This record gives sequence, C-alpha cells and structure tokens, in this order.
Amino acid sequence: MMQGAHVDLLALNGIVQSQKAFLPMVSFISVCPRRLERMEAVSETDVQFWMAKVVNWGEATSCSALLDTSRHLGSLRSFLQQVLQGLQQMSSTSEAMKTFPFVGQFLGRLCWNPCVIADERSQRLLLRCLSCLYSAEPLNAVEQKANMWIKNMLCHLISEEEGSVAHATVKHAGLTPKRYHSEALQKVVSLMTEEVIKSCNGLPNTSARCSNGNIYVMSTACAALVTCPQMSPLIGALLKHSMLCGTSCLNQEFIKEVSEALISKRLVLEDEAVVNLWCYSPSCLEGAAVSLLESVLSDHETMTQSLDKHVNDSLLPQASADHCHIFLTVSEIYRNVLTEIDENLAVRALIQVFTVCFLQRLTGQKTQDRLPLRAFFPHVMPSLLPPLLTAPSEVPREAWLDHLIWIRSLLQSVMENEAGEDVRAYQAVFQAWFLLVQCGYWVDTAAELLVLAAPENAEPLLWLLTFFHHPTNRGHQRSQQTAEAREAWTHLRMLFLTRPPPPRHLSAVKELLSSSLSANLVLHLFLNFTVFSHGPVSIINEINDKVLTEAAVKRRALWILASIRCRLNSAATRDDRVHSRLRTLQDTLLQT
Amino acid sequence: MEAVLRHLTNILELLAVSQTDHVSEWDRHTTLRGFQWAEYCEQLHSRFQCNPAVRSALESALSDTNQRLQQALPSCSPVMFSELAQCQHMLLIHLLTNPSAPNSVIPILFPDPKTAAQDSQFDQNSLITCKSAFNLLCRTSDRTSYAGLHVEAVVRGKLLGNLLNSVLSRTGNDEYARTLLDSILHDSAGKPESLYDVIAAALLSPDDETNSVVPHFILAWLQEHDGCLSKLCKSLSPGLCTVISRQSREFKQAYWGVLKQWASCLEFDVLEGLWVPTSDEPVTFIILTDRFKDLLHSGPPLKEETETELKTLKREAGDFNVKGICIWTDVIIQLKL
Repeated sequence: MMQGAHVDLLALNGIVQSQKAFLPMVSFISVCPRRLERMEAVSETDVQFWMAKVVNWGEATSCSALLDTSRHLGSLRSFLQQVLQGLQQMSSTSEAMKTFPFVGQFLGRLCWNPCVIADERSQRLLLRCLSCLYSAEPLNAVEQKANMWIKNMLCHLISEEEGSVAHATVKHAGLTPKRYHSEALQKVVSLMTEEVIKSCNGLPNTSARCSNGNIYVMSTACAALVTCPQMSPLIGALLKHSMLCGTSCLNQEFIKEVSEALISKRLVLEDEAVVNLWCYSPSCLEGAAVSLLESVLSDHETMTQSLDKHVNDSLLPQASADHCHIFLTVSEIYRNVLTEIDENLAVRALIQVFTVCFLQRLTGQKTQDRLPLRAFFPHVMPSLLPPLLTAPSEVPREAWLDHLIWIRSLLQSVMENEAGEDVRAYQAVFQAWFLLVQCGYWVDTAAELLVLAAPENAEPLLWLLTFFHHPTNRGHQRSQQTAEAREAWTHLRMLFLTRPPPPRHLSAVKELLSSSLSANLVLHLFLNFTVFSHGPVSIINEINDKVLTEAAVKRRALWILASIRCRLNSAATRDDRVHSRLRTLQDTLLQT
Repeated sequence: MEAVLRHLTNILELLAVSQTDHVSEWDRHTTLRGFQWAEYCEQLHSRFQCNPAVRSALESALSDTNQRLQQALPSCSPVMFSELAQCQHMLLIHLLTNPSAPNSVIPILFPDPKTAAQDSQFDQNSLITCKSAFNLLCRTSDRTSYAGLHVEAVVRGKLLGNLLNSVLSRTGNDEYARTLLDSILHDSAGKPESLYDVIAAALLSPDDETNSVVPHFILAWLQEHDGCLSKLCKSLSPGLCTVISRQSREFKQAYWGVLKQWASCLEFDVLEGLWVPTSDEPVTFIILTDRFKDLLHSGPPLKEETETELKTLKREAGDFNVKGICIWTDVIIQLKL
C-alpha cells in the first residue's frame, strides 16, 4: 500500500464503457506538494485542453471531428512526446498513475480515434506510452489492472469486434491480417482514386458543386495518412483535381503535410502530382526551392560532385520549363538569397546549374508549347537575352571571344546609365548582373580563355570577370578592382608558363588570395589555370599544394570547380585531359 | 506427410494450451518457439490451400485433433483450416486475452517501437496503420458511389470474390469454398445485413464480367441455405438488386424466383380490397411492386425481359384482366404496363 508522508487514497472506479475499457480514472483525495513539482513536465492547462479535445473528437465519426483532429495532429504529437518523456521518468506504473491521473482516459480515447492511430508518428508515440505503463512484474492491483487494460487496447488495435462481418471476412480470408488490410487499403484507395478522377473529367465546369465537399473531406482524411505508401495514387488524384478545378477545395492541413513529407522524403509521388502541388500552393513551391538550397549548402562534399543531378532530381527545372510562374518564383527566391549573401559561391553555383538544367528542359519542349524567353526573364534588358541564353556549347570555340566582347558591350551600355544614380538605373544593372550569374557559364568561359589569351585580348575578359565578382561600384573601387584583376592574371601567367614556377609570382598569388577584396576572382582565375593550362601535371600539382592550403579556400574552390564541371559536362566535345585534371584536383581538395 | 500431420497436431495443442491457465508456465523461449511453429503452420496453409488432396488430409487431421482437444479442454475453440493462415495472430490474441498469460511475455510480443526493427516478426505497426487507414477512408467516401453500397462492403466483397475465384480456379475445391462461406456466415451471425452487402459486392466483383464462376457459386450456395436468398434480396435495396440482375443472368433468374415466391405469400383480402401477407414474410404488395418498378426502370434489355416475364406470368395464371383474382394482373395494372 502507500508509503511515505503523503496521505492519499486511490479510488479505483471500474468504468467500463461497453467494449471500451478506459483505465479507471484515478482520483486524488489529497495532493502532495512534491507531486506537483513532478507535473511540470506536462502543464495543467495543456492537460485540460487535450482532455477536452479527445472527449470532443470521440471516434472521429463526424466530419467536423475529423477536421479538428487533423488540424491538431502536429501539436498533439508534441504533447504526446511530453507525456512520453514524463512517463519515462517514472519508476513504476503506480507512480505514473499518481503523477499523471489523466493518462489512462487520454490514451484510451486516442486509441479509438482512427485519425490519430493512422498517423504513423502518433501511433508510435501512443504505443510507447502504453509500453511505459505496462509492468512486467506488477506489484499491486493498480498495476495489474493497468496491464489488463493495455492488453485490451492492443487487442482492439489489431483485431475486429467479434461477430461482425469485418471479423468474419478477415478471419477466413486465407491471409494474415496484415496482408488483408494492406490489400483492403489498396483497394479502397484505387476505388476512391477512380472516383476523384471521374469527377476530374467533368472539370472545369461552370456549375459550382463539383462534389467539392467530398473532395475536401477526402483530403482531410488523407492528411493523417500522407506517409502511408499505398496512398500516393489518391494523393496524386486529389492534387490533379485541385489543378483542374481551380478553386481551393483541399484541406490546408493536407497540403502542409504532403509538402513536409515530400521535402523530408517520407513520401514519394509521381512527378506530375508534385508539380500540381506546387501550382496549387505557392508556399509549397517556396518550401521546395528553399529545401533544395538548404540541401546544397549543407553537404558541399557530395553536392560539388553531382550538382546537376541533384538539381534535376528536385524536379524544379522541369516544372519551371512547363510553368513560367514556377521559374519566376524560384528565380526570385534565389535572387533574394543572393542579395543577402552575395559573395557566396555555393549559391551562385546553384543558380548557374539550375538555369542550365532549366534551359535544357526548355529546349526539350515542343516548339508550339514554348513561351518566348522574354516571359521567363521579364525584368532584364531584352537585348541581353540572346547572347547570354545561348550556351557556350552552342557557339563554336573560335567565336567565343567575339561573343564575349558582344556581351561585354551590352553590359557596359547598361552600366552607362548607372551614372545617373537613379534607382531604376541601379535596378537595371542588378538585373543584368543577375542574368550574368544565371548564365555563369559565359563567365567561366571568359576565365578559361584568359588562360591562353594574348595580352591584347585580355581586357574584355578581365572586365567581365571583374563585373561578375564586383557588380557594384561600392566605394568607387572599380578601378582598383580592375587593376587587381590584371595584376592577378599577369602573375598567374608567369606562374604557370615559366618552368620552374618562380617563387615571387607564387607568393604574389598567395597574397592576392588572402586579401579580401578580390579573393574569389583570383581563386576563380587560379583554378581555371590549373585545369586548362598546358604544363606538366606534376608541376601543376606542386603549385596547387602550395597555394590551396586553407580549409575555407578549399571549400570555395570546390564550388567553383562544380560550375566548371557542369559546363564541361554539356560541352560539345570532351577533353579527357581536362576532365582528369578536374577530377584529380577535386579529389585532392576533398581529401583533407 | 506423417511429420506434417504431427506438426499440425502440435500446433493445435499449442493454440489450445494458450487459452488455458497452463500458459502461465510459458517463458520467453517457449513463447518464441510457439510463434515459430505458428509461422510454419501459416506456410502449410498457403502451400496447400488450393490443393484438394493434401488439404483434405490436413482437414481430417484437424477435425480429429479438435474433437480430442474439445474433450480434454472444453473451453478452447476448434480451429478450421482456413484460420491456419492467421496462426500467429490467433496465438497473439490468445495470449493477450488470457489472464493467466505471464506478464513478462507481452513486452516480447510488443517490442518498444523505437528499438525494434521495422521488419521484426512482431512489428504490428503496419497492420495497425493499414487497418485504421482503411477505416478512416471508408468513412469519408461518398456513400452513393457504388450502386448504393458502402465502400467498405465493396472492398470486402471484392476481396471475398478474389478469394473464391482463386480457390475455385482449381478443381476439387467446391466443398472447401462452401465451407468458407458457411464459416463466414456463422461468424457474422450478429449482423447478417452487413454480410448481405458484402455478398452483393462479391456478386458484382469480377472485374471481368465474362467470368461467372464466382457469381454462379455464390448463388448456388445461397440457394442451398434455406431462405438465405430471400433474406438477401429483402435486405438489399431494389436498385442494387436491379444492378446485379443486369450483370448476371443467373442472379436475374434467381431474383425473379424470389419475387414470385413473395407473390405467392400474398392473398387478396376482399373486405379491404388489398393484397395482404399471409405468412411471417414481411413482404407487402407495395414492396413487391416497387421491386418490379425498379427492374422496369433499368433500361434495355432488362426492362423488356421483365415486361415479358410479367405478361407471361399473368397469362399462365388465367389471363385475368380484373383486379383481385391474380396478383400478376394487379401488379401489371399497378405499374401501368
């Protein structure tokens, strides 16, 4: 019986409601202050809130109960997590029942709510809570009763009511219950999917009631079931319906859950369904774009190796080619990110690769479906589009220099207006610069050409490189930056063309790399020399080892190499020597 | 084969013991062994379910063992061959519901979801998820989409239809298929109307409408059970019966037979001027005519066939044109044919 200073009586009233055996409410007669302390894991207001909710929901038979349950699934999970943590700290079931008197009714009622049980994460939390309350060696009547109740709950969860048709058909089905229900689920999903698709065939219709009410209810039910693998045909059909219908007839919770599940890879949908989701919900599209960015930034080792594959796998390039507004949204998001962290090479590489993948998909479209390019780049000076959106692989190598001179003169004309200090002028320069970032393959081409260029041809190439790395004339440093670019180039030429590599040029390059003003530009040039110059491999490796020593520099180098690699992947011809140089360099940089 | 029969007997004894208080002696090792045996048993079922020769040998072994166990332990329930597919589940339920089961056994069967492997033999999560997902979806589907049947009945009916189809696809399994339906009928004694819905769905189930094996079998089974067909037709709505009649000639004939039988239970009450029921069958003239009305509204060819049938029945009964003598005359007059 009871020990210690606290005097309390546990009144076990055996409340058994028909087939539902709730753990008898344990009522306090007196409260020990020490016990209140323990309750801090779970606050009294929360308990009252959730108890009211679960009583209200019942078995979620009504539409409103279902809706409310699905709205609260996320916060319910958090509360269950707290309860679980509280229970885990208990040393016995008796103690748990004293500390958390509500827990029996609470868990019991939840076990009868299919919306909660069907949600995998809530189900696991529930079962873990039950498992905490089970005593392998019960010491008193409370614990024994708890055990019995838990066993009843488990029975209810895994089997049907005896005497029902459900029970009879499952019992003699010749399958395990798991297989039976898996097949039953598959069948009901396919029946409901057919239903939804049939109602799609009538769309868009002018009469308002296209069984929207039913679609809404279905999507509410699906919110809890999003990660169930058999559900994807129905989810896809509902999304397709929403696309065709035009009105918002899907439950918001459903959209949110689908979006989160897709991003965390707990759900796999057909490509068309994902794109439908993005068209339906701009916030889901934003989520996907941000998620791509985050995944790229978080794992530079893998991403720098296979950036184009990763970007294509995200489906964003294909969706952007098919839906102009998707491209505009994604570009806008990335443009905003770039203004926050404009020196970030990873973001630039992502933007560049994304645009390339997008353009590739665009050319894959049928000519009659294609929108003019102007639609995708509405804010930039139209004359810039043809030269920049034509990839270097589509221009013969001999014409590259002229092409770049063309680009440079167009950009210069945009910049001439900047002198007016007009906001619109700034905007124009920024838009032009962003287009250059998107079409960064031309900047990489300019850098490549600089490796072998004669001094008289270097000027426009250096100009482009400088503009790319320093678009604004902040502090009127443009002339200094241009001078530094030329200086760096000169040193690099000497370093890579003279054998053995002169030490004074080596140290000059190193110093330029560490000065903050043009570090990225110098690194960009340096890496191009490494990959494209004609010297013997051993000497080049030696130079690399001496120059690329710091971890931060190596990281930035990997991103620059990632964009070079993507451009080479889509080149007209493949130069094995260059590819192997690139490969070796990447491997060396990754090693430490 | 000897060995197999011995194993089967062992498993039955195991299942029986799990329902008695002898189970209190079980430890972890015994429990796990028990489930291993149960799993073996499930494999037996799946291998021999459609093999009449082996199955009947197993069935007779089962029957003998059941009898023997019933005498020794009257409280335990007999096990049918069809149930062997769920041997592990049965054992689990027995342990959960038997108060004498040792407390230490349950945590073995329900390992902590965090630490247990996903594919563990005792992982119930996917069963619970599928089952509640199924329940949830059934509730939210539009009730009127499937010829008036609730989607849950449609799904269970289709699964039943598939089961019968696979059993009947091999010769020699008719008796077994009959046993299956008998067992289902017996075990759902609580709610026969829901069962009739499932049977209706099973009649409609073959995706290939030329496959009449399952409807034929089910009809034959219904007709073997006295009054079952009539109860089924009464329970199903007129619209549903019409839909099934359109799909299955056999059902149409059987349905007409039921309607004729209902008609024969009505007598003309001269004082009231109405046809009234004579037996316990709660069929009234209105109900009868409603049924025919629905058949006639269905469209060709069922409409024409029903008209012809009614006119034939009227003619064979004496071709009266006056009300109150022949029920068919009155039906025809009521329906304004």
